[in-house]
Parts: sequence; C-alpha cells; structure tokens
Amino acid sequence: MKVDPVLSVRGLQVSFAGAEGPVPAVRGVDLDVWPDEVLGIVGESGSGKSVTALAIAGLLAGNAQVRGSVFVDGQDVVRASPDELRRLRAERIGFIFQDPTTTLNPLMTVGRQVTEGQVAAGRLARGEAGARAAALLREVDIADPVGRAGQYPHQFSGGMRQRAVIAMAMAGRPRLIIADEPTTALDVTVQAQILSVLARRQAETGAAVILITHDLGVVAEVAHRVAVMYGGRVVETGPVRDIFRNPRHPYTAALLNSIPRLDRADSRLDPIPGQPPMPAELPSGCAFEPRCALGRGQLVCRASDPPLEPQGPAQRAACHFAGEAAAPVRAAARAAEPRPEPTAEPLLIVDDLRVHYPIRAGVLRRTVGHVRAVDGVSLSVRPGETVSLVGESGCGKTTTGRAVMGLVKTAGGRILFDGQALGGLGPAGWRKARRHMQYIFQDPYSSLNPVKPVGEVVAEPLRIHGVYEALGGARYVAGLFERVGLSPRVMERYPREFSGGQKQRIGIARALALQPRLLILDEPVAALDVSIQAQIVNLLQDLQQDLGLAYLFIAHDLSVVRHISDRVAVMYLGRIVEEGPKDAIYERPMHPYTQSLLSAVPTPDPDARRHRIVLEGEIPNPASPPTGCTFHPRCFRADERCAREAPAFVPVPGEATRAACHYPGPLAGAPAGEATSLEAAS
Amino acid sequence: MISYLLRRILQLLPVLLIASVLVWGMIYAVPGNPVAVMVGENASAEQVAAETARLGLDRPVAVQYAAWLGSALRGDLGASIHSREPVLKLIGERLPATLQLAALATLLALALGIPVALAGAVAPNSWLDRLLSGWSALALGVPTFWLGILLILLFAVELRWLPSASGYVAFWDAPLQTLRNTALPALTLAVYVSGIFARFLRASLITELNADYVRTARAKGLPERTVVMRHALRNALLPFITIVGIMTASFIGGAVVTESVFTYPGIGRLLIQAISSRDYPLIQGCILVILGIYVAINVVVDLVYAYVDPRIEYS
Repeated sequence: MKVDPVLSVRGLQVSFAGAEGPVPAVRGVDLDVWPDEVLGIVGESGSGKSVTALAIAGLLAGNAQVRGSVFVDGQDVVRASPDELRRLRAERIGFIFQDPTTTLNPLMTVGRQVTEGQVAAGRLARGEAGARAAALLREVDIADPVGRAGQYPHQFSGGMRQRAVIAMAMAGRPRLIIADEPTTALDVTVQAQILSVLARRQAETGAAVILITHDLGVVAEVAHRVAVMYGGRVVETGPVRDIFRNPRHPYTAALLNSIPRLDRADSRLDPIPGQPPMPAELPSGCAFEPRCALGRGQLVCRASDPPLEPQGPAQRAACHFAGEAAAPVRAAARAAEPRPEPTAEPLLIVDDLRVHYPIRAGVLRRTVGHVRAVDGVSLSVRPGETVSLVGESGCGKTTTGRAVMGLVKTAGGRILFDGQALGGLGPAGWRKARRHMQYIFQDPYSSLNPVKPVGEVVAEPLRIHGVYEALGGARYVAGLFERVGLSPRVMERYPREFSGGQKQRIGIARALALQPRLLILDEPVAALDVSIQAQIVNLLQDLQQDLGLAYLFIAHDLSVVRHISDRVAVMYLGRIVEEGPKDAIYERPMHPYTQSLLSAVPTPDPDARRHRIVLEGEIPNPASPPTGCTFHPRCFRADERCAREAPAFVPVPGEATRAACHYPGPLAGAPAGEATSLEAAS
Repeated sequence: MISYLLRRILQLLPVLLIASVLVWGMIYAVPGNPVAVMVGENASAEQVAAETARLGLDRPVAVQYAAWLGSALRGDLGASIHSREPVLKLIGERLPATLQLAALATLLALALGIPVALAGAVAPNSWLDRLLSGWSALALGVPTFWLGILLILLFAVELRWLPSASGYVAFWDAPLQTLRNTALPALTLAVYVSGIFARFLRASLITELNADYVRTARAKGLPERTVVMRHALRNALLPFITIVGIMTASFIGGAVVTESVFTYPGIGRLLIQAISSRDYPLIQGCILVILGIYVAINVVVDLVYAYVDPRIEYS
C-alpha cells in the first residue's frame, strides 16, 4: 500500500505501578492500520488488547507508564500535551466501548452526549448541535432521530444505545475508530445489526478500524487483518484468511481448536490447558510456553521470548517453532460419538409453566396487568440427557430455570420431579426437593461467598441438609475438589485467589456435593475466557457421563449449545417457539426465529461469510407483547393471519421438531444448516 | 406525580399514629411524674392528688391517650402541663428558629464539604487528598460542645465579631442580624456534618470517575473540568441527596447540644425541657412535629430525585 497508515504503533510498552514493582501489561507491540481497513485484535483477558487500545487514544490512567511510539494521523500520542490529546480525540479518533448500558451518562440526553465533544472542541456551534445530533443518529438507522435525540439513555434499548455510541464516535468524522468489544454485551440478532451499521459507516467514511474482540467468529466475519495478542504481545498477525486457514503460532491454532462451532458437531473440545497468564506473573521466555503443546518444556522456549518474524508473504508469528505450528484447524475433528438414546422416564417434566409479574399503578398500587415472563412452557429432561433453553435476553429462559428450582412464584402449570409434583410444596418440602436438583450460576465471581474458604463453600450445602458427617466430612469434600479437577490442597483458600474458570469449578463442586440428579446450568461458561470455556464444557460432559446427571442448560451462545445438548428448545418472549433434537434444530430449523437466530451467529471461518437474515428491531416489551404470534413484527414470513391468531405449538409434519408457527418450513435457498451438515459429515 | 404525593401522605398517617403510641408508652415506662415536679418536694399528699386530678392524670393511661388523640385529630395538641400554654403555640415560637438554623447549617456544610470532596476525589491518595481526609476526620471527631465553646471564645470573646448567645430574629425582618445570631451555632453543626458530606461525596465521586461513561466523556475529547463537573459530579450527587436530607432532618430535633451551648431557642431544647419536667403533651407535640418534618424532608428528597434523575418517574 502506498498510502500512509492512519495508525502506526512501534515498540509500545505499558506498565502499571504495582505493590511489587511495575506490572507489564503491554510488552512491545507493533501495529499499523491503513484507511479503509479493519484490523481485528483477538485475545483473552490479560492479553493487553484493551490497554493497547486505551494507550493509542492516550486514555490510560495516570499510574500507567508508556514507552514506544504511537502515531495517529501523523500526531505523536505518547509525547502529546493534554491539550493536543484532547484535540486528537475530538478530531481524529472515535472510541466505541463494550457495554452500552454504562458507556452513556444516564443524566444527559443522548443527543447532547453525541455532539458535546464536538461543541467543546469548537468544531460545532451550540445552536447547530441539535440538528447535527439528529443527523448523526439518522446515519446509524435510529428511527425518529429528532425525537430520540432529546431522550435519555434509559429510554433506549441496548442495541439503540450502541448505535448512539457509534454515532458519537463518528461525530468528529474520525480517521481512526477503535471498537473495544462493541457487541459482546448484545444479543446475537442485535450484534448482527450493529456489526452491519459499523461496517457501513466505516465504508462511507473510509476510516481505519481497530476491532477488539474475544469472539473469533466476529473477527472472521468483519476483519481484513488480524493481530492475535497473548501475554501483552502480538504473537501472530496477518490477513484474516491466512490466520484462520494456516495459523503459524501454536496459540492461534489451539484457540481455533478450542472453540465449539455452530457449523460442526464434535463430541469433544480441545481445550488449552492452564489459564492465561496474569501480567504480574509472566513466565520468563515465551509467555505461552507453559500451555503450549509444541514448546512446553523446550529449553529455547523457556529461555527466550521469540521475536515476531515473517512467515510467508504477509503473515508474522512469534514462535521458535513457527514452521511446525501449522496444524490445520481441526484436522482430526472427531465425529460425534453416537450417544445412547435415553429411554428412561423423564426426571423433570415441566408442563404449561407460567410465571407472571404484576404491573402496579395508581395511589393504591393496584395490579393493572401482568408481564408474562414465562407463558406456557413445557419441556422434559431425562436422566443423562442435556436439554438446552436458548434465546435472547428477556425471553424467559432464566426465569424458567428459577421457577423449576422454586426460586420464583409460578402463576400456573405443573413441575414434576421424579414423578412428584413440586407445586404444592412448603419450605421444608422444597428444601428436600432441592437436594436432588442444583443450580449453577453464570457469574463465578459473585456466586461464591468471598469471606469463606472454598472448602467451606463446597461443604455448606452438606451442613444445611445435615449430611456432612454422614457423607464422610472433609474427605468427601476433598473428593469433590478432585472430581472437578482441583487439588484438595486449595480448600483453605478464599475465592479471590482463584481465576474465573477455577471459581466455576468450585461452583460445580458445590452443586455436586448433595449428589443431585439434575443440574440447572444458567450460562455456566458465558463469563469465561474462550480457552477456559472448553475446559468447563468438557468437565460438564465428563460429569454427566460418569454420574448420569440430567442437565437443563440455559444459554444464549448457540455454538456451545450445539456442542453440549441432546435436545434444544428455542424461546421467544416467554414461550418455546421450536423444540427438537439438536441436529434437527441446527440443520433443519423450521421456525423463522430459529432460522434468523442461527443465521446471525458469526462463524469463525472467513470463507463462510454469508448472506444473513438480519432481523429488524429488537425483542418487544414483554409487558405489552404483539398480538397473535409475538414474533410476527420481526418475521420475514408473517402475514395478517400471524398478527391475528397465535400459532399452536405442534409437531411439524414430516420433521423432527415441534414449532409454534403458522408457516413452518425449511429456509429457501441454502440455509446455514444444510451447507454445514455436509462439512460435518465429510 | 400527584398520585405519588397522595400516597406518601397516606403512608405518613400510620407512621405518626404508631409514633404517638410509642412515645406515650415510653413516657409512662419511665419513672417520675409531672405533678411531683410541679408541686415541689414539700407538697402534701392531698396537694399532689388534687393536682393530679386537675390534670386528668388519675385516669387510665389508655383513656388519657384516647383523649389526647381525639383533640390531636382536631388540630389541638393540648396545653403544656408546666406553663399551661398551648403546645402548638410553644412549638410555633421555636420552629422558625430551628428551621433557620437547619437551613443555614446545611448550606454551610455543603459549602465546606463539596470542595473538600472534589479536591480529594480528582487526585485520590495525593498529599492534598490525605490532608483533606485528615481534616474530615478531625471535623467528625471534635465534640460539638467543645467546638461550640471554642468558637464562642474566638469569635465572641476574643474578636467580639459575633454574639455568644443567639436569640431568634426572623430572617425576613433582619437578615443581617439573623446571620450574625445564627452563624456560630450553624457553623458548629456544619463542621461536623461537612466531614460526613466530604467523606461520602468523595467516595461517590471516585466511583463515578471510574465509570464507563466518564471514560467515554474523556474519549470524545472533553476538557477534564467538564468531565468532572458535567458528568461525574452530577451523577455522584444523586446518592448524596439522600445524605443531605438525612443530615438536615437531624438538625431539626437533634441539635440539642449546640442549641444549649449557644442558648439557642430551638425545638431540641424545648423537647429536653419538656422531658425533664415530664410535660407529656409538650413531649408528644414536639416529637410529632419533628417526625412530621423528618418525613416531609424525605418526600422533598424524593421529589428532588424525580427532578434531577430522568430515570425516576413517580406515578
């Protein structure tokens, strides 16, 4: 390329003051991004990717030490004065952050927030700010931009907030846009909308984009080039196709192997052992060496950190054995082992379950209506079987799980556990019933009591039920730790001393303590790093096989769900819209919502960039759901009948699934499932 | 909004009713009676009995309470046993002085506390922050009566700028005189509360300055001053409003020590006098009025929230 890069980073080092000397977060990063280019930066927590992004915009806190050089559009960022930095941010850099619920000031109108940077920089007259804000919001496809500009962030949905943040980043017509996990907090159909808005605005302005993410699917979908970061360094960089087809660094290859995929059905994942290094405790030599299949134990890898060197025309990798790392992605993709068909009677039967929350109004707080959070859900789980509930936020999947545990009051329906109705149980009866079903929470950080040693955390359910001594006391608890892959020697330690994956193992050990027969797993891997997810997923599968556990698996990540489930139920606005065996749901979905959902998931394969169904709008307010079929306003097949009458949930003739749709049927053309089923079979 | 106000006022009634029962019960649980205080130690048994009958104190407690409640519902809180003046008149004389003191003390505490919090929060753990935190700790630790006496010694005795004892003058009649009279007691109260304000607001500000939207504000190139004042401070003030409300309310009945040091004619001192002379109707009246103001301040705090926080809608 003849043009100068918009961003040029050389030898960037960032360290933070720590109790025991400086902690290196970024250790020598080189990056270039040209106009009209999207550079994807991939990495796990602690890889230094976000710190790099903040350093580029000069946004690091005062306790950060920055060395090396960063030039944005010719301006030296590292040596810039505070005033120069402010000008640079107002005029040349646009920043998009992760969580749109917290990145906007709740007390200020969205329109004012979109333009205030430009007004403060003197690039926009105060009198014109309102009109400009509306124009910017229109450019990111916000309907009624003039009215919306005068509203506050809480009046926006999550997707609209992120559109507003994009509009804000674009306000100064920046040359460089830095998007730090811009879609991680969003639902998958909204993610598809946001990525397309971002791509369109980038193309319209010719800006250079840095897209930071942990989601390899998103990178494969939108990036031109990729930089993979690990332990504060770029370990591999190159064109997106080369990185995914022919990774030269063992970490890249291992990462690609460890993720469950929507387009393949393997029986087992290949996790990366161990966990990403903390910046304060980096090993000497190559940071990846302790987890590396290729270099572990090799003298040269322990002794020296390999430089980033060219591998082929456009690719560079930092590995002593870069030539040998080129393991083709999942060469030995194992076909799904045939699982024994569970024939036993269902352990859990949920029949027409309803959970309604009252809406109150008036002086006397009378109930004027109900939010139907769960509105007639029926499902069953057999011993040894995994049934997944999937759907976007607010669809009622978590409420369903909580209702099964008796944690929320039901408004109707029956729950049978092992033939016994749980509906009429009093507190004592529930306590007994819960011995046999346990709940595993999403957030391993807040679900463990921070002031108790983890051995006590795991023993607590035993004490509550008075069976601690009967089951063998401390020795039994130690056995539980071994069961989940932790050394019993850590039982005296406190939760804060463990990583996210280890905490989730402790959560699982606690759930197993009472020898339950059913586990309700609510997004158990959603908060974990990509390379750790695979470890936990494998652990869950091993436990199920060894103990014959039944799983009710609640998740939004369709790839993980495909990997772990026997049967899948797709929820929308409190109802199951489609349910069936895993392969049928993924390869021949019948309901338009299932089809859109699957189509919206980015695949970690740059060659599979495909036409997708981008759903309009977002999930409606469950307090006032649409008439008829609640999906009809977003559906590509809906007609006036759908607006009028709600479809029954019935088996689709000639298919393996049941669906609630007036017009069920396979997707015309080549749906995602059909193309990939061939791939999985070959 | 109006429905919300109505609901709050309806909620107030049972609170006041329960409080009046509790206060009545507590008075009777404590030994001592007003007649003995009134007639003196050398009075004969007949004198005591006559006086007791005259005041209606020989009736059963429940009957006394019912009689009191009946007239209270008609807006009559009875007469002081001690001075025989109507309770409402006694309270009415003291209330403006108390409200005036509370208002001035709150304003002074804000004026002292907010800058200290701001200066500390923008550079946490700097030498300035440590110095100001030390000042807040000192403000919280100094006993009010001692500080009051110190201020009297300095400003009234040594410098002779301000009066040592503060009679009440209505603000609208003589604003300057009011300020002079109220300055020292208000400052005494304000110093302590400014320590609370500064600590609370500093912590709240530090949290907000680390919030994502503040990072966003910096990322769009806003000057740091705008980032702090327009974004962080406004959000930090939200939880702070509650604290300000609570402290202001605490000045209404809880400034007894300061009122005594400055012989300030506030409701707190009236209540203490009433308690020591077992003046039941006056105790009841004072407590109900203090409680009513307390609840009213809470309603005002809620209304302020509705005004400054667009996320809150009262319906």
